[in-house]
Amino acid sequence: MEERKDIIQSLSDNFAILKGLLEGKSDGVSVFEYLGPYFDKANATQQSGDKLAWINFGVMPELFWAMDMTPIVVDSLTGAISGLGEAMKYIDIAEQHIPDYLCSNNKILLGAALAGDLRLPSIMVHPSHPCDSNMATYPHMAEHFGYPYYLIDMPYFRNERSIEYTARELGNLIPVLEDLTGRKLDFDKLRQVMEYSNQAQEYVLKLNHIRQQVPSPYPSLDMITEYGLLMNMAGTPELVEYLSKKYEWAKGKVDKGEGHLPEEKYRLVWIYGAVTFDMGIFNWLEREYGAVSVSHMNNNWTMNPVEDISTLDGILKGWAQKIENLPMTKECGGPWENYLNAAMALCKDYKADGAIFAGHMACKSNWAIAKMVKDRIQDEAGVPVLNIQLDLFDPRITSAETIKGMLNNFMTTIMENKKGRGSPC
Amino acid sequence: MSALDELKGIAGTLTNPSLQEWKSEGRKVIGFLCAYVPEEIIHAAGILPYRVRAVGCDQTSSADVYMSQVNCTFSRSCLEFALEDKYSFLDGLVFVWSCDNLRRVYDILREIRPDTFPLLHFIDVPHKTTDAAIDRFTEELESFKQALEQTYGVEITDDKLKEAISVYNETRSLLRQLYDLRQSKNPPLTGAEALSVVLAGTVIPKQQYNQLLKKLLEELREREGISDYRARLVIAGGGGCDDPEYFQIMEDLGGLIVNDTICFGSRTFMEPVKVDDDPMAALARSYLNRPSCPRMPEKLAERTNSIKEMVEKSQADGVVFQRLRYCDLWGGEQLDITRKMKEANIPLLTLEREYRTSATGQLKTRIQAFLERLEV
Repeated sequence: MEERKDIIQSLSDNFAILKGLLEGKSDGVSVFEYLGPYFDKANATQQSGDKLAWINFGVMPELFWAMDMTPIVVDSLTGAISGLGEAMKYIDIAEQHIPDYLCSNNKILLGAALAGDLRLPSIMVHPSHPCDSNMATYPHMAEHFGYPYYLIDMPYFRNERSIEYTARELGNLIPVLEDLTGRKLDFDKLRQVMEYSNQAQEYVLKLNHIRQQVPSPYPSLDMITEYGLLMNMAGTPELVEYLSKKYEWAKGKVDKGEGHLPEEKYRLVWIYGAVTFDMGIFNWLEREYGAVSVSHMNNNWTMNPVEDISTLDGILKGWAQKIENLPMTKECGGPWENYLNAAMALCKDYKADGAIFAGHMACKSNWAIAKMVKDRIQDEAGVPVLNIQLDLFDPRITSAETIKGMLNNFMTTIMENKKGRGSPC
Repeated sequence: MSALDELKGIAGTLTNPSLQEWKSEGRKVIGFLCAYVPEEIIHAAGILPYRVRAVGCDQTSSADVYMSQVNCTFSRSCLEFALEDKYSFLDGLVFVWSCDNLRRVYDILREIRPDTFPLLHFIDVPHKTTDAAIDRFTEELESFKQALEQTYGVEITDDKLKEAISVYNETRSLLRQLYDLRQSKNPPLTGAEALSVVLAGTVIPKQQYNQLLKKLLEELREREGISDYRARLVIAGGGGCDDPEYFQIMEDLGGLIVNDTICFGSRTFMEPVKVDDDPMAALARSYLNRPSCPRMPEKLAERTNSIKEMVEKSQADGVVFQRLRYCDLWGGEQLDITRKMKEANIPLLTLEREYRTSATGQLKTRIQAFLERLEV
């Protein structure tokens, strides 16, 4: 009989190994130097029986840090599980209970919980954007396993009223967490957390600008793996430290006119998912084609820092505004123009030679507009777009080799297109 | 013609004589795609609300240019019909934030066929039932009302809304009476017939429908009850379940459907709208609080419990939980329904289907096996 494992413990161990392996080998500062200790902390929290909150990519962790809880973004857990090649067994377990067409991101979490390989949280919090699959699994898991659940109800359209409404929803979460932890929210601590969060966001905006430079000094893989850090560690001094080091390093390269590659031949933007089960594809594109992936929808953090952190009201409104504009929520929630505009901006701002829509099969709302997005980008920005049908977490649907085959053909198109244009668009 | 035959005829076609007569008088028809649209507002505008289906859709080649194979066949079929101008009799189309598939049908139509309908409207529906959510929904409904008034040059007064609510509450009351008849040991109508009756009410004027329902109830009192069935079934599950033939297949094999929780069924009429001084707020409150679909995650336990209660009330032998392939919301529900039906010792058959009933061999085999299990 297979021994049960503890996934968070395992990730903590794995990141420690990665950190060791990458010592002195990474450009600038490594994501794994910071992700490792973060998972160590999550592991220590669960070992000690302290409050671990599961949140998803649409929430942001600041309030939880301020409440002395350890927030863990479940999508970073499932992404890490997939990256370590362990997603398939959990997907198979989940599919014994729910249909195969639900999102594998959700199925991995459910399967791992059903297998007993994940310690259950003290609470699960997620918003009503951007997709049905989250809504079809998170409340059901909470009901099944018997832990508290909180939905942040968000309006469909974004405007002043939606911010007011969402801010109220976020405010209503505070007493729920206070009851759960037995502690009152310490406002000074929240303000401190928000200060860290704002400092980090200032650096994120500067780094976006850095990656827009030609050539970009940023390794493709760092660009995408930072998503895990930003989601989980916003509001911590560690994230500020990482980003400040990263910025100084990257700025130094820009000042010297140095790119990440000796010769940056092509610039790619990923206007949907990343091939999570094989992130090596980013390096392969650099190696084979001199193609740097300069931005990605998941790492497209464009929101401004929270303006007013002097009052709880100001923080809640700022938080509401922030989560409306989080990657994935910003694009996939609400009308399709949200998606189109964000994808178009990626192509233009990052001076892309090509855009890749790595379309996760479970994302019904995105596949329904994939053609329209592709057509508009090609027509209006002149950037070729590749739509790939795949499962971001499960290589059995579309393998890395098949994906590389499609990318090979696409790179030929990009080369011809660029030759015709004479320069990047 | 009996009322039942008339209602069945209406349900089986895309348009019907009553709708055509309505149009010939120069009156408007507005289509809507989800049970969370308060029809009363459209009715109060003097416009016929029409619940959109894609009756007889047998291919989706035009829709598939835009949507994908991972989008459900209900949404693709409705888009297909819109692109083929099969809904040309509609003067407007209303969507709500019901699910990821349908919200994108709205986006696609706006992008590629923006002039097809004089009004293409989207209503945001909250996912909670708090006071703030009801206020938000009320505001959305006010916006919808204004859109109707501006587009069609009508005035929707509170009195007209209250009158509409009264008409619709009468429909709900009559349908509850109809469903009560189905709870008896020998119900006077089959599940397929009952579905047809409910469907007919979604596409003809409600006053006319109420008269037909009254006539039907009288007819059914004289009708001999059904006794030659093998098992009594409750149908639970998802949207797009609007094909009486699908029910007929189960009933031809000896099942008798005695109740349902589907959105083309009991969910729309089990609770009346409680009228107060503010009819728009009353509509918002009632529609948000009535028996829910999985787009309301906090009502999960309530939803599953209601199936158990329905089984008990209807003295059903088992539950058929059916859902469209690629419907995430109902797909996730499977975890809770499976566990709780098992805990309650209620036999459960889960069926995945496409919008159009076809390739029925496997379906028949599974139903046959389920009925045999129930008879043991």
